[in-house]
Amino acid sequence: MIPAIQLSRITKRFGEKIAVRDFDLSVPRGALYGFIGPNGAGKTTTIRIILSILFPDSGEVSVLGRRSALEAKDRIGYLPEERGVYRKMRVASFLTYMARLKGQEGPEVSRKVGSWLERVGLGDTARKRCEELSKGMQQKLQFLAAIVHEPELLVLDEPFSGLDPVNARLLRDLVLEQHGRGATVLFSTHVMTQAEQLCERVVMIDGGRKVLDDTLPGIRRRYTPRAIRFEAADATAEPDPLRALAGVRSLSAQDGGWRLEVHDGHSPSQVLAAAVAAVPAARAELVRPTLEDVFVRIVTGEETRGPGQVELRAALREEADDSP
Amino acid sequence: MKRVLHVALREFLATVATRGFLLGILMMPIIVGITIVGVQSIAHQAPPRVQGEVALVDHTGAVSAGVSRYLAPAAIAARRDTEAARVEDALPETLREGDGGIAGAAREGVLAALRDVPELTLVALDPSTDVEEAKRQLVSAEGRRLALVVVHPDSLERKAPDSPFGSYDLFVREKLDDRIVDEIRTGLRETIVELRVSRAGLDRELVEALTWVPWVDSRTVTDRGEEDTNEALNVMLPAAFMLLLFVSVMTGGQALLTTTVEEKSSRVVEVLLSAISPMQLMAGKILGQLCVGFVVMAVYGGMGAAALVSFALLGVIDPWLLLYLVIFYLIAHFVIGSLLAAIGAAVNDMREAQSLMGPVMMVLMIPWLLWMPISRAPSSAFAVAASFVPPINPFVMLIRMASSSPPPLWQVWLSILVGLVSVYAALWFASKVFRVGVLMYGKPPDLRTLVRWVRMA
Repeated sequence: MIPAIQLSRITKRFGEKIAVRDFDLSVPRGALYGFIGPNGAGKTTTIRIILSILFPDSGEVSVLGRRSALEAKDRIGYLPEERGVYRKMRVASFLTYMARLKGQEGPEVSRKVGSWLERVGLGDTARKRCEELSKGMQQKLQFLAAIVHEPELLVLDEPFSGLDPVNARLLRDLVLEQHGRGATVLFSTHVMTQAEQLCERVVMIDGGRKVLDDTLPGIRRRYTPRAIRFEAADATAEPDPLRALAGVRSLSAQDGGWRLEVHDGHSPSQVLAAAVAAVPAARAELVRPTLEDVFVRIVTGEETRGPGQVELRAALREEADDSP
Repeated sequence: MKRVLHVALREFLATVATRGFLLGILMMPIIVGITIVGVQSIAHQAPPRVQGEVALVDHTGAVSAGVSRYLAPAAIAARRDTEAARVEDALPETLREGDGGIAGAAREGVLAALRDVPELTLVALDPSTDVEEAKRQLVSAEGRRLALVVVHPDSLERKAPDSPFGSYDLFVREKLDDRIVDEIRTGLRETIVELRVSRAGLDRELVEALTWVPWVDSRTVTDRGEEDTNEALNVMLPAAFMLLLFVSVMTGGQALLTTTVEEKSSRVVEVLLSAISPMQLMAGKILGQLCVGFVVMAVYGGMGAAALVSFALLGVIDPWLLLYLVIFYLIAHFVIGSLLAAIGAAVNDMREAQSLMGPVMMVLMIPWLLWMPISRAPSSAFAVAASFVPPINPFVMLIRMASSSPPPLWQVWLSILVGLVSVYAALWFASKVFRVGVLMYGKPPDLRTLVRWVRMA
């Protein structure tokens, strides 16, 4: 089957700056893709190219089998990062207007609008002006505007930024529901935990280049753990026997236990077995790399938690809305 | 196309169904109405009767009797009655017959003002009176003296045969009604002329008859026959049409700019662009504001027509002119509107928009400067040339068409053709700027950046 999104060797420049370079992407129909990368990595530019809001300097785009998203606009739902509402417009009128712009006609539009507003808890705001809604409510409204016409392809640019945990969960459920209905979903985020919780497959972009494109289990397999988490059975045990083991590069205290970093060239599982033999363990395991670990490793080229990574990690966990 | 209409409908409603717009469009008729009613009530309110004395130092000894006769209340009343009768004769038929409404009220106002007669007493002072002392009485609060006249000794007979006649000095109290001052002046002039003529041994009536040539109204000769030249209308009608065009274009254009800036600054624009193309968005907005302009035109045009009907002058407007008004409105709106939409798309807020709007507003001021010269000489080479210069050609052409000598048809259609080409160029430019600008945030563009955008899009 033709993929929902197919980008081949896309490059886009803004003056001197190359926002996206030689970017390939293939999102199969019905997939749930996470598009991750730090701020300024080129996520929004790539998404705008997919939506034909921007046009690439070179490369081929195919969306839902068409050469341009413009030819398939009614089948695409898009929640942009730069999003807003008409401040003076009534909530239900706004949603109806957006549905009509997406080709929905007839009397059932307003019925559909009403039921969607009920579902996300905005039922009693239908007659209010958009400016009276809180920011979170506006965001839900914008999300509804992207899905009210039941699109085949849903592109969400930072959908969770600025949402409280309750609304973030509500939105996540709605995204999963759309996916369950058969829609292809591509969403971008710079918050790694969201991508881990939601996607089947992750595309990572950094500095305009694709640096990773794999399933989550695939990523974990590829990035074998090079650290061991160890808790001794006897809380008073000394760490020296562990530090002396062959293959242990360093040892540091972590959460009431220790974290052992393994030298390249040694098998982490063999080191683990040797450690358990040296010191009786209450708990000993290979550390599963998080998406964040993988990302940081790719971006900085380092494995250990050096000081240069602190800022990056902080940015990747950021939940607060930092969109301009 | 359906989407463009959805955008247009929203744009129209978002502009028209606001308190600001309704207030703005109704404010003008309300102000005009209040002014008419106010002027009427002021006209009806008879000013306080002026009473007082006019002192005269007569060095000739002959003038005071004549002036006294002239200023007697009965004489003033008689003159004003004659004047009132003359005004009534000169009024348009519609005003004379109608008893109610604007026409009746206006007539009443004019006639009432004419019949208000002052009560003036002439006091002849001795020629040896100290003029400075007499002047002081004009300042005193309790005195009844309104004016002091000093007639020169040589005002009736020259000192030497080749020297000019003398005159008189006039001193008046502060804030004296200028109609009273006019009465005194005219009284002195009449009396002095009368005496000079009789002393020269001439017949006053003969002199007046010899020097009198009536003011003749011109009659315009056209291929439809002869008609009265309505000179005021010849100047006012082109201005009215230009004003109508200007107000309609500016209302729609301004709103187009404002809504575009709003859409951009509230970041709703990218949400819209997920559903429609920038071109559809711009087309819909221009179309919506076109209808806003038509509403303005209908309201103000309707008011103008109502005024003409009440003066029975509706016939002065050629129905074809209305058709051309619509055609030129379409041209002007698309040119100005698309430029303003492009400006709206290029900037981040209204403040930045102001500086880019400057040149557009300047161009739109040109027709105002040209209105008088062109309506006076609608067929001058300058007027003809200006009819083919976009974007002012719709304004200039309308001024010429509404003037007393309309341009030949080929010029009208050539101007329309030029207009269509300019519409195409403006839309082309605006669409490119709009497409790029509407998603650009940050530093507002200068001209060079705009050109780069046009190349980029």
